[in-house]
Amino acid sequence: MSVRALIVAAALLLIGPWLLPPFYITLANYVGLASIVVLGLVLLGGAGGLMSFGQAAFVGIGAYTTAYLSIAYNLSPWLSLFVGLAVTGGAALLLGALTLRLTGHYLPIGTLGWSVSIYYVFANIEALGKHDGLSDIPPLTAFGFSLQSSNAFFYLIWIVALLALVSINNILDSRFGRAVRSGGRTTPMAEALGVNTARVSMTIFIYCALLASVSGWLYAHFMRFVNPTPFGLGTSIEYFFMAVIGGATSAWGAIVGAGFYIIGKQWLQTLIPAFTGRVGQYDVIVFGLIVIAILHYARQGLVPSLALLLPRKAGGRVAHHVVGSAEPLAHRDKPQPGTKLLQIDRMEKRFGGLAAVNGVSFDIQAGEIMALIGPNGAGKTTMFNLITGVIPKTAGRISFAGHSLDGLGSRQVMERGITRTFQHALLRPHMSVLENVALGAHTRGRSGLIAAALRLERKEEARLLAEAKKQLERVGLGDQFDAAADSLPLGKQRLIEIARALASDPLLLLLDEPAAGLRYEEKVALAKLLDNLRTEGMTLLLVEHDMDFVMNLVDRVVVMDFGEKIAEGKPDEIQTNPKVIEAYLGSVDECSPLKHAV
Amino acid sequence: MEMHKLLITATAIALSTLAARADESTLTVGATVTATGPAASLGISEKNAIELMPAKIGDTPVKYVILDDGGDPGRAVRNARQLVEEYKADVILGSTTIPNSIAIGDIANQTKTPQIALAPIPASGFVFSLPQSADLMVEGLVEHMKENKVKTAAYLGFADSLGDHNYAAFLKFAKPAGIDVVTNERFGRNDTSVTAQVLRVMQAKPDAVFISASGTPAALPQIELKQRGYKGQSYFLHGVINQPFLRVGGKALEGTIATAGPFSVAKELKDSNPIKAHALAMIEPYEAKHGAGSANSFAAYAWDGYELIKAALPKALAKAKPGTEAFRVALKDAIENSKDVVGAGAVYTMTATNHNGLDGRARVLVRIKDNGFHPIQ
Amino acid sequence: MDTQIFSILLEDGIASGAIYALLALTMVLVFATTRILFVSQGEFVTFSGLSFASFQLGIAPQIVWLLAVLALVVTALEVVSALRLGQGKRVPWLVAIHLALPLAVVGACLWLAPLKPPVLVQAALSVALVTALGPAVYRLAFEPVANASVRTLFVIAIALHFILQGFGLLFFGAEGYRVDPLIDLDVSLGATVLKGQAMLVLATLAVLTAALYVFFEYTLLGKALRATAINRIGARIVGIKTPLAGRIAFTMSAFIGAIAGILAVGSTTLYYDSGFLIGLKAVLGAICGAMLSYPLAIAGAIGVGILETFSAFWVSAYTEAVVFSALIPVLLWLSLYAMPSEEGQEL
Repeated sequence: MSVRALIVAAALLLIGPWLLPPFYITLANYVGLASIVVLGLVLLGGAGGLMSFGQAAFVGIGAYTTAYLSIAYNLSPWLSLFVGLAVTGGAALLLGALTLRLTGHYLPIGTLGWSVSIYYVFANIEALGKHDGLSDIPPLTAFGFSLQSSNAFFYLIWIVALLALVSINNILDSRFGRAVRSGGRTTPMAEALGVNTARVSMTIFIYCALLASVSGWLYAHFMRFVNPTPFGLGTSIEYFFMAVIGGATSAWGAIVGAGFYIIGKQWLQTLIPAFTGRVGQYDVIVFGLIVIAILHYARQGLVPSLALLLPRKAGGRVAHHVVGSAEPLAHRDKPQPGTKLLQIDRMEKRFGGLAAVNGVSFDIQAGEIMALIGPNGAGKTTMFNLITGVIPKTAGRISFAGHSLDGLGSRQVMERGITRTFQHALLRPHMSVLENVALGAHTRGRSGLIAAALRLERKEEARLLAEAKKQLERVGLGDQFDAAADSLPLGKQRLIEIARALASDPLLLLLDEPAAGLRYEEKVALAKLLDNLRTEGMTLLLVEHDMDFVMNLVDRVVVMDFGEKIAEGKPDEIQTNPKVIEAYLGSVDECSPLKHAV
Repeated sequence: MEMHKLLITATAIALSTLAARADESTLTVGATVTATGPAASLGISEKNAIELMPAKIGDTPVKYVILDDGGDPGRAVRNARQLVEEYKADVILGSTTIPNSIAIGDIANQTKTPQIALAPIPASGFVFSLPQSADLMVEGLVEHMKENKVKTAAYLGFADSLGDHNYAAFLKFAKPAGIDVVTNERFGRNDTSVTAQVLRVMQAKPDAVFISASGTPAALPQIELKQRGYKGQSYFLHGVINQPFLRVGGKALEGTIATAGPFSVAKELKDSNPIKAHALAMIEPYEAKHGAGSANSFAAYAWDGYELIKAALPKALAKAKPGTEAFRVALKDAIENSKDVVGAGAVYTMTATNHNGLDGRARVLVRIKDNGFHPIQ
Repeated sequence: MDTQIFSILLEDGIASGAIYALLALTMVLVFATTRILFVSQGEFVTFSGLSFASFQLGIAPQIVWLLAVLALVVTALEVVSALRLGQGKRVPWLVAIHLALPLAVVGACLWLAPLKPPVLVQAALSVALVTALGPAVYRLAFEPVANASVRTLFVIAIALHFILQGFGLLFFGAEGYRVDPLIDLDVSLGATVLKGQAMLVLATLAVLTAALYVFFEYTLLGKALRATAINRIGARIVGIKTPLAGRIAFTMSAFIGAIAGILAVGSTTLYYDSGFLIGLKAVLGAICGAMLSYPLAIAGAIGVGILETFSAFWVSAYTEAVVFSALIPVLLWLSLYAMPSEEGQEL
């Protein structure tokens, strides 16, 4: 992110109270309080793809905890902040364990239910003052000063808000942040690259609950009064709208969204009656219309949409990290060429009564390129998914470098040295080419959210990015690391995917139709790249339809048809194998690719 | 990204909205009411009453600013800040709900701006509260129960702040009167069925039922009680005294009893009662604009805010000019010394320790008969 | 608790649940055809119920003006787009269906309301009024972004809820309305009394469910809608237009919502903001059927109604908390069966 923008923001903050009339200080305080919550939604929703309608409830937990403790037990608010964080963290952990397993529209509905429920819990607990809530909450004091005035609070709230902003920006721009932005459970890619998606989801869910809790703590001591109303579903939806308006993919969007919503609402209240003579009944309609208009015409929200209008500066957010030489990452020792690397023994997969893969066995030797071919529906991709643990097998054994892979999930298989690419290049569209490739090196780093937020992982980060840059250079895209991944043509996207797989330092590389959709020159370049990898000691297994490509490149071929292996051998043996010719010519697939090759 | 440009623009826009304060001699009355959300029916009545207030008190021009807080204390506080800091309000009317009114109280005291709350809250310092307190009204109901030999009574109230307060008051007075409170059932304003709660009440076989809710939602439990064949006496609070309640409740309400302010039965008051003239002076224009039977006690609370300000204004003007802190303090002192100020809803006598100013005269009991409210003599 | 109380509670729960079930049905219908989790459906219930109450007072509901304005906007958009595509011949047809039809409803409402027509005519007018709103709402809010992610569509549905509820307050005011039950007939059955209105709700549910079944199984349009639900792109290739499917789904959604409103306002007081909770509870029901199965959605919705009544009996102050917490185990159960969704888009 732009350090300049941050400095300007900090400067504005410093002079704010002199510049703004008192009422706008108050408004700015509320904008700041909301921004802290909405920043959490940027991480959770905009980056992590999770949708929560429960943030106001976490604000409530923070607010009620400090209110109760500082009134009933005279506890210092600075201590009750941490109690509030602990309670919120616990609640988020529990709620997350229950709802984060759910995908798609179930998560928002689940958090929505929680939001409605917790309101009635606040409103019915005697010690929390029931519906009336708690008043006369002591003001904050620091170093003997009482932070009671709006101005004093302005600094406190905005320091926290800016710290939250910096932390979110730091997190997004880190190893952990790439994992957050990897698409989580919505795509098989994240787990296949070693991202523990369940853990990442839980971590960001808790972090954004904690941000909400801090906002609640500030709210309680700023208002010095809490009651259940501001912690119900309605407010959670408002936070969500702020994120949508400002732009949930940008941390600055959180602040702009909160400002737009809160200031706009206050403004409309006095503006609308001037035209209609009616108070309070139009602003909710107008804001609803604004949200819909934004989703229709600027779905990314205000900040990202406006940012598109600004000239993009050369060199993106990561450019400067790569400058300078970082210590290279440790890598695995390659196995002795010719030894058996992967052994597949009578593999079987049934979907209901249908056998997609039926008793297939073959071995792959270290240092060779093997191709898995067959007509459409032969079970090649299923085979890939079985090897990489994306789907569980029905029967059979599989071992890799002497260790069994039976029962392992996609992430564990990857950690043992097998990395794959996907039929449709699964790149993250909002990440740069370099970030996409660095995602591949995920398992070669350790740092998590806290280290990222505090920037304690810069050394490791530099090594990861240097590795990513190295792999990009290896596939010939060294000069395009800063482009947006989805702006490149398909051929290059495939190369990026291969670079990403290479960044994970695999022993065995599985490529799912790497040549599909490539132009002739691109195919030649790809073949050359794969040949080079073989020379460097890499083992490759590819599923491919393009027979010219396969036959001129690979060492051995396995042919599948209707879920069974029908042939195995050197390319020239396969091309003359009558069973193979029968399978291709007899198939309904009219554009059988073997026709050209045979 | 050049976000700071955006920030600067946003700040500029924000600054440009600053409203100008009216000129020196104008009195500014700022109001924040709950015109949307769950308490909208109450807040809209108050807003309607404020819109009827005259643009001049004596020779002093008055400017009214009405804001909506949607039931959220945070918004109520923002509104109060805007009223005080931007519009330089000399007095704040509002808010509609108890939590919101409490939340504003802090600002009233901090900025030395008199607040006239339209919800029953504990009032001191710069805060005044006009509605009859829960204690005052519930006490009247309990007296009537006692006179009619009620031994057991069920409580069926809103699941909100009002419901909590009235339940507490009910317990407080029922015990000394020898009445057993047998249930504490709650329902929501938007509940589509209260059958379950009513069954609970019926199971307890109470001599009387106290339905503590305001406006039209209060009718649903009574309809259900009648359908289930409940024969005992039902009691309501003054929040139900309006036409929509009668329309929704219909026949099921016949014979039930409610507390009311004198305002609600103004037409039936004796001409000698000073409240009558004041109440009618407000009811007539109000109903001319919003329909017959539309004026209710919430409108009266807001109106009486005006009556108190009007009575206190000359004393305050003698000390300072509107828009100054000295004026606001003088206005607060003058309101605090209101003596027998007649309003549409009550006769107010405030003291330094009593910022509510009501006595037993602010309460009458009415019986619903022939689709109308009639005082019990 | 004795059996009598149990049976009364059960009857009451089923009666509320049947209203939720009506909405849950259309929730599933709309989700299947358009991928919209249409939480603002409850607003159709309140609009229709409050319009009905308004007709009973001899006043045309002001919501007719909303319909008139929406019809004008929709017609303008449709005509412009037809002219752009050079389909000038379609203009009269577009004007007829998007403008003349809704305006005829508006006219009928304005003309008939003061005459206080028979109750059934009033109900029909209310249903026609709200039904006409359905496709207009879809056309303006959803159709331009019909291919957006489930999340985006969901957010639009929530925003729409605020807009419609805002209009509700504007047009109907904050006070509640209630009308006499359509059937004021109570049948004694042993110890319990069956309320006529509750029976009517259940009968309506049965009839509409059967009608939907016939529609989906035996009519071309119904089959087309089902095809859209199964495979949107495929359906488009064979000539079923997604916008058309969406409009039909929303028309049906508004129609059934409107009928639910007429029934609800006869047994309870409706407010401008009653719709949201009713809609959310219908969503809870529909979720029980994983937003896919009609029978499970109905069962789930009735379950929600029963749970609501019984928790109101035992812990009335926590009713909503209990009802919405019950969602968690349901979701958990579903998640054990749910596969990662295809939805890869951020919001």
